[in-house]
Amino acid sequence: MGLSVTDTLLVYVGIPAAAVLVIGGLAYAASRGNGGRGAKRYRPGRPFDFTPVWFLARPEHLADSAGTALAAGAQAPALTSRKQEQAGREAPAGGTGGASDRW
Amino acid sequence: MTVGEVQAGTGNPPEVLDGPFSTRQLLRIDEALRLADQGTGLVFSVFVGGLDEPVREHAERLHRQLADPDRSVLIAVSPNQRRLEIVTGRHARKRIPDTYAKLAALSMVASFGGGDLAGGIISGLDQLASHAGRG
Repeated sequence: MGLSVTDTLLVYVGIPAAAVLVIGGLAYAASRGNGGRGAKRYRPGRPFDFTPVWFLARPEHLADSAGTALAAGAQAPALTSRKQEQAGREAPAGGTGGASDRW
Repeated sequence: MTVGEVQAGTGNPPEVLDGPFSTRQLLRIDEALRLADQGTGLVFSVFVGGLDEPVREHAERLHRQLADPDRSVLIAVSPNQRRLEIVTGRHARKRIPDTYAKLAALSMVASFGGGDLAGGIISGLDQLASHAGRG
């Protein structure tokens, strides 16, 4: 049984082209759907713009009263800029330990 | 209670979702913090954001803002400055000596250098908590 020229083209060109289009389309859709998050991703060495966040298992552990306004069990979200300014004015404590590093 | 539920009541988009983490990462960090706190009796806290120079002093001031600084451990990460500070309070320092804090910092920095903020924070919390042991 011999294939006609049209059949040959359809099988060896049409089907691969269709497969390429479907896979490419899916990949494009996936990258667009994730675009917002992908753009926000942290990449070392590139400027990274985001709202500062401060996590606590229990927000009442923050001495500042505004921190307790959050529901118990929730994470403490970003501190307000007012609180961060306050933090900047307080004198540093003595006797703390820990470590520093950079990457 | 999840992050999403907290914000559903307010109607405004949550500030924390403007942060550097996806919802799934936030939940994992929340879980890691909770386990670390429960397991050790210390108070672990993670700050991700810009730190003013001198970075160490700023991290210590943030640490002092916590309700019980002596028993608290603050992990301060500044992605843009590429700096990590771990601050342990007077009591917490006895449970987590500086050498172990440095070890945890090294592994966290390795993740951060690969662009994985959440993974570094979670593994660092885990290391610090497991070294502190049960309180």
